[in-house]
Amino acid sequence: MALLEVEDLHVSFRTPDGVLDAVRGLSFAVDEGKTLGIVGESGSGKSVSTQTIMGLTRGARVSGEARFEGNDLLKMNAHQLQHIRGSQIGMIFQDPLSSLHPYYRVGWQIVEMIRAHDKSITKDKARARAAELLRLVGIPRPDKRIDDFPHQFSGGMRQRAMIAMAVALNPKLVIADEPTTALDVTVQAQVLQVLKRLQEEFGTAIIMITHDLGVIADVADDVVVMYAGKAMEKADRQTLFYRNHNPYTEGLLLSLPAVGQERERLHPIPGQPPSLITLPKGCPFRPRCPYAFDKCTDEPPLIEVSGEEHVSACWLPTEPKKRQKLRDDRLTTEAASATN
Amino acid sequence: MSVNGDAASSGDVLLRVDNLVKHFPVQSTSLFRRSKDAVHAVDGVSLEIRRGETLGLVGETGCGKSTLARCIMRLYDVTSGRIEFDGRDITRLGSGPMREVRRDMQMIFQDPYGSLNPRRRVGSIIGDPFSIHGLGDGQDRKRRVQELMELVGLNPEHYNRFPAEFSGGQRQRIGVARALALRPKLIVCDEPVSALDVSIQAQIINLLGDLQDEFNLTYIFIAHDLSVVEHVSDRVAVMYLGKVGELGGVDGVYNHPRHPYTNALLSAVPVPDPDRSRERERIILVGDVPSPVAPPSGCRFHPRCPKAKQRCVTDVPELIPRLDDPPTHVAACHFPVADGENIADSRPEISAEERVVEGGLVGNV
Repeated sequence: MALLEVEDLHVSFRTPDGVLDAVRGLSFAVDEGKTLGIVGESGSGKSVSTQTIMGLTRGARVSGEARFEGNDLLKMNAHQLQHIRGSQIGMIFQDPLSSLHPYYRVGWQIVEMIRAHDKSITKDKARARAAELLRLVGIPRPDKRIDDFPHQFSGGMRQRAMIAMAVALNPKLVIADEPTTALDVTVQAQVLQVLKRLQEEFGTAIIMITHDLGVIADVADDVVVMYAGKAMEKADRQTLFYRNHNPYTEGLLLSLPAVGQERERLHPIPGQPPSLITLPKGCPFRPRCPYAFDKCTDEPPLIEVSGEEHVSACWLPTEPKKRQKLRDDRLTTEAASATN
Repeated sequence: MSVNGDAASSGDVLLRVDNLVKHFPVQSTSLFRRSKDAVHAVDGVSLEIRRGETLGLVGETGCGKSTLARCIMRLYDVTSGRIEFDGRDITRLGSGPMREVRRDMQMIFQDPYGSLNPRRRVGSIIGDPFSIHGLGDGQDRKRRVQELMELVGLNPEHYNRFPAEFSGGQRQRIGVARALALRPKLIVCDEPVSALDVSIQAQIINLLGDLQDEFNLTYIFIAHDLSVVEHVSDRVAVMYLGKVGELGGVDGVYNHPRHPYTNALLSAVPVPDPDRSRERERIILVGDVPSPVAPPSGCRFHPRCPKAKQRCVTDVPELIPRLDDPPTHVAACHFPVADGENIADSRPEISAEERVVEGGLVGNV
């Protein structure tokens, strides 16, 4: 059984312009000790879905199920959720400066977090544990730096302190929402390494939310590609990068300039993501899709491309050869029109 | 953009920056004494940019790349050094003559939300350069603005809309149209795509490339995304703590990085390709960038460098060709990285105190 199973999650918000459907029928599962990558552009619903699972989207209309070790998180009351948040499921957010309280010392915040879940731990013990955690995530001289304020830490150190806090109580699952987006590449590499080591050591499952396909290629075991509140494609990492089926996944990968490759014109996805208030009829990617045909006015369900391990919300043929031919034809036509 | 590093070197120089220094004084804690401390944002940078080429400027937060760009635009007064644009020394030019020069040098900013006045209509934002420089009038100006909008892929009928009615990518197009209005010679692009989603990034990058081909534009392209810089640049300068660590044609720098910092930076970029990602040796640097208020002695990278030796602590390395590199590829390193060398295996040969590393070691590095 998977550690976390999300099924048919819907999240919508009432706005002055109408009802905004942020997540529309999302399902995924995370196994113990594995990393699930959720990738998508701004507004695709990747953050909202995990925040909803953690009970952090106030005022939203939510339906569906999110079973954590068999118990539905969406049915829990605030008190029950509070018990799980932090101790069973840790969270790391994008902006480490606004996630740490500027008035309190870093160590104090970790101690507070530990003792909030278990009052039986003495302050001294909790403090020792906090120093140990800071050492674990690579903060130098942790017994001194534990008394620093967040502003005395650099961006990378703050994010590492956040990781220390997220894993303080040995959670089974850590949700990392764009944990390295605000960091420089060399610091990003450090932080990703820390996360990987913690996973190896404690067998923590990780949900890694990011827009960076490079990070996904680096850390994810399985990947969900989201667009307009839906999963467009779900597959293991190798399949997603090398045998993807959905035109949106293909478009994302094609639009990237890659280090160390021939410099040619990039292939952007034309147009822009749809408004979630007035979604187009049928497939949400249809207006931007180079393969769109008449059937696309019906919204495609997730169709099995090869077993239930690789699914894609697209009407294009699932036979690899047919799909490959379509792709080759598209690229030849585009190359021809570019040279003209 | 198709011009490679060597061909570009034959072009004539549009902008020459010579030993440019920009220090920002740190606020004194005492009311009466002026603080002697200063942030050494840019500390002796010399560069040449040739007509029609794109110079990429990369480096981490706080390395001085944006400060350098703003000094070139004369948005900051420089502390010392010399800037020569189109054969003219503009280092100390007054605001009147400088305004004339700015017709030829324009800037595109990172944040397409913050750089457009939300209360003004798009047509009047793009038309600003015309009114500032007193060019054209009423109908003529409107016609020119609509031409620009069409050029950058906006619907000219949206002339009367407000910025809020446009998406992030479209707003960046507005910024591009405004920069292009006076047909400048040089455009400084300060992180023009980093606020955009990947699918939109590629649209703007292609647009900038097309415009360069059409109007023979020269770009300074600042970005922290190394794959974007590789894609757009002819030459690239890698900055670290206010200095240029390595400079050369993009193929030379990316395929044969000589400075260990360039090497580490390139190896840290996550590649969207699991197979290549796995086989790559990643160099994880220890610690964080030191404070630019008191930059390290000698080579500024020595506290974090896996190849550091005693000489790096005392001697400032010159920016000159290393190993068998052509004269166009220069690096400031006493112990340059050879092709095929793996610096992840190197261990610094300096004392622990000199490796003051505030960010801390990750694991058993």
